[in-house]
Amino acid sequence: MPISGIVVSCRPEEAGGIAEKIAGNRGVEVHGVLADGKIVAVVEADSIDAEVALVNGLQQMEGVISVQLAYHNFEDAAPEGAHPAGL
Amino acid sequence: MGLSRRDFIKACAAAAAFAAAGVTTARPEWAEAAEDGITWGKAPCRYCGVGCSVLVGVKGGRIVSTKGDPAGPVNKGLNCIKGYFLSKALYGKDRLTTPLIRKGNRMVEASWDEALDLIAAQYKKAIAEHGPDSVALYGSGQWTIQEGYVASKLMKGGIGTNNLEPNARLCMASAVVAFMNTFGSDEPMGCYDDLDLGDTYVLWGANMAEAHPVLFSRLIDNKLKHPKVKLIDIATRRTRTTKMADEFIAIKPHGDLAALNAIIHVILRDKLYDEAFVAKHVSFKRGKENAPYGLKDKEAFNETPADVKNLTFEEYKALMKPYTPQWAQKVSGIPAAKIEELARVYGDKSRKVNSLWTMGVNQHSRGVWVNNLIYNLHLLTGKICKPGENPLSLTGQPSACGTAREVGTFAHRLPADMVVMNEAHRKKAAGIWGIPAEKIPAKVGLHTVEMFRAIDRGELKCVWIQCTNPFQSLPNLNRVRKAAQSRKAFIVVSDIYPTRSTELADVVLPSASWVEKEGVFGNTERRTQQWFKMVNAPGKAREDVWQLIEFAKRMGHGALFPYPEKGMHRAIFEEYRKFTLGTGKDLAPYGVYAKVRGLRWPVKANGTETRWRYTEADDEHVAKGEGIKFYKAPNNKVSVWFRPYEPPAEVPDRNYPFWFCTGRLLEHWHTGTMTGRVPELRRAVSQATVELHPEDAKRLGIRNRDQVRITSRRGSIVLTAEIGGRGTPERGSVFTTFFDEKKLVNEICIDAFDPLSKEPDFKKCAVKVQKA
Repeated sequence: MPISGIVVSCRPEEAGGIAEKIAGNRGVEVHGVLADGKIVAVVEADSIDAEVALVNGLQQMEGVISVQLAYHNFEDAAPEGAHPAGL
Repeated sequence: MGLSRRDFIKACAAAAAFAAAGVTTARPEWAEAAEDGITWGKAPCRYCGVGCSVLVGVKGGRIVSTKGDPAGPVNKGLNCIKGYFLSKALYGKDRLTTPLIRKGNRMVEASWDEALDLIAAQYKKAIAEHGPDSVALYGSGQWTIQEGYVASKLMKGGIGTNNLEPNARLCMASAVVAFMNTFGSDEPMGCYDDLDLGDTYVLWGANMAEAHPVLFSRLIDNKLKHPKVKLIDIATRRTRTTKMADEFIAIKPHGDLAALNAIIHVILRDKLYDEAFVAKHVSFKRGKENAPYGLKDKEAFNETPADVKNLTFEEYKALMKPYTPQWAQKVSGIPAAKIEELARVYGDKSRKVNSLWTMGVNQHSRGVWVNNLIYNLHLLTGKICKPGENPLSLTGQPSACGTAREVGTFAHRLPADMVVMNEAHRKKAAGIWGIPAEKIPAKVGLHTVEMFRAIDRGELKCVWIQCTNPFQSLPNLNRVRKAAQSRKAFIVVSDIYPTRSTELADVVLPSASWVEKEGVFGNTERRTQQWFKMVNAPGKAREDVWQLIEFAKRMGHGALFPYPEKGMHRAIFEEYRKFTLGTGKDLAPYGVYAKVRGLRWPVKANGTETRWRYTEADDEHVAKGEGIKFYKAPNNKVSVWFRPYEPPAEVPDRNYPFWFCTGRLLEHWHTGTMTGRVPELRRAVSQATVELHPEDAKRLGIRNRDQVRITSRRGSIVLTAEIGGRGTPERGSVFTTFFDEKKLVNEICIDAFDPLSKEPDFKKCAVKVQKA
């Protein structure tokens, strides 16, 4: 199962509330909320695809400025993802 | 102890994220165990032009982990969401692993020898029957420096044609021409440090939050720390960037050409310029005007020295008189008062002002002119070559700068700012290449749009495409796809996955990608970054540089590439480096790049980098006491060009009442051949949608997620409507993305291009919008 360490940036005054919402997602653990509005979290999911979908959801949340990726481990991930058009 | 490997990895993930967020935590010792057996190497990211540094972890011959590189000065330990796709881009199920040769409608597996022999035979036949200008090579800003260099030497020094182009023609060419005709040297004087050090940022049609997220984060960090920092978003569409801006200024498509002229008008009228700077550094010029839009084949337009008139400052001021804010309000849609305000922002001596732009300015039928006008603002006010105040043209591909621009894989260029039209430049290149100077043709080759039109005309017999997807990304796509489908030319495509271009090829070659090979990229801020091969490419896939040299041998040009098998990448780079030394674009020896997280050229004699060019404070080509010296420009004077307003190539009318604009979004990169391989993401952002303004949608009876037919004079497609989503165009405009290979949106786009840069305008054409 892939695991990633992410940094979510928001305005400092909104960080606490957003951290709570983020922590409500299955597979997301909030490890810290920093004074400058950065939230440190660990994401785990069944596949890289699910992980990306999860992070993509965080990125779309109201108040989130950006989601950035610090660390990504996917050592047991299987090859996947044939192309949509099947070309 | 009850802790699983999973816990170890999670601890590593948290520690890395804390470190990147600026908090040093003691990483538990047992967390080290998680990284046991993983070998780490550094590489620049595979995707955009920002050039983030990535640490790549390899175990058992596979990439198992990636990290934002804490030692990388660009990204300081963080990558954007596209970092998740770095491994996936290599490990998709449908990787091309063997050469394929077309037999009728089927592609049949072949050996490398069969494929390369066939390509060489076709190229030789075309050259024998129609001359060297009947063949071409089309590469990209994703080529490594070594790949681009070998391509240039082979085509220009070996085969004897300048029919060599990069896809960067479609994104950067306008920026290049303006750098050359303003400063006499390509690429910026400033760097990313300006994002941390400035206090005013004016975005001209750039959605940085989505297209350059790591740089945008740096800018936002600066803004959150410093209340004075102001971000002004001037755009035709409200985006994620707008949400963070202090001010959004809506502008009509093509309105930048009017608004910029009017801002300059006010700066001149109210004497907001820096008189001493102007007197010392600037010469005023007027070029050729009333240019065509390139819509007719072979339509020629050039601005030769004979076309350029020198102006006095007074003559320039007189020419700028008609461009009043009131006039610009009508053309640009920006209120006159707001234009006055922008002029005062640029003219405010207490503000460190930066302009940022990318495709909105470059993919423009007067793109060079708009670049020129932005430079005029900075040159008139003297806000340039200083920490925290510079214009910065952002790029979109990892080595659009390093390869396409610095190596010069364009139809008119040679390495290090040289051009094929210049005899001295040809001689210098020939000297380094060890060939007679007359081998390099002086005739400029076919630029991208003309190259693919020449296939349709039956004039171009062979084209080899590497590392890009033109049969999805070119404008007026129907014409070029039909030409290829009717087999008017012999087409070779080297890539890592099947694409809309491989499907039209006569030969498909499987390539190695990113850390499956060794290479060097050059990013937007002049940073040259090297990496080593870390994993094997799958199956028979081979790197592009090997493909080109094997082809060269079969063409009788093998002697041009006498590089040892071991150390080949180093040898190619060292040869290329000779072009740069003493030119103000100086590169370091290869071994240095192997150790550092890139260096910004010109690299100084003592081996350190240059952050700000043309200033004695940092650039060693400027002597102490000289202050700022534009030493690459004629007589050390930069050009402020008078660039009048001229209308776009196509404007909305009764039959086609809407503007149509294309662009990128955060998750998908370019034509989606790599980022399109993430199933969940495809479901989330599964296909290109068309964004409409809610009032337009209401008037047309279109609701969110309805199917909408978009029709231009060139093509028609059906897209799903997106109303109130992440982006909202202004009234009268619709916007879509170009990543979706099932929706060839470029069939809609006009193939009008900038007369100077030959870069097409993907941002403006007229369409009708109907509920499907």
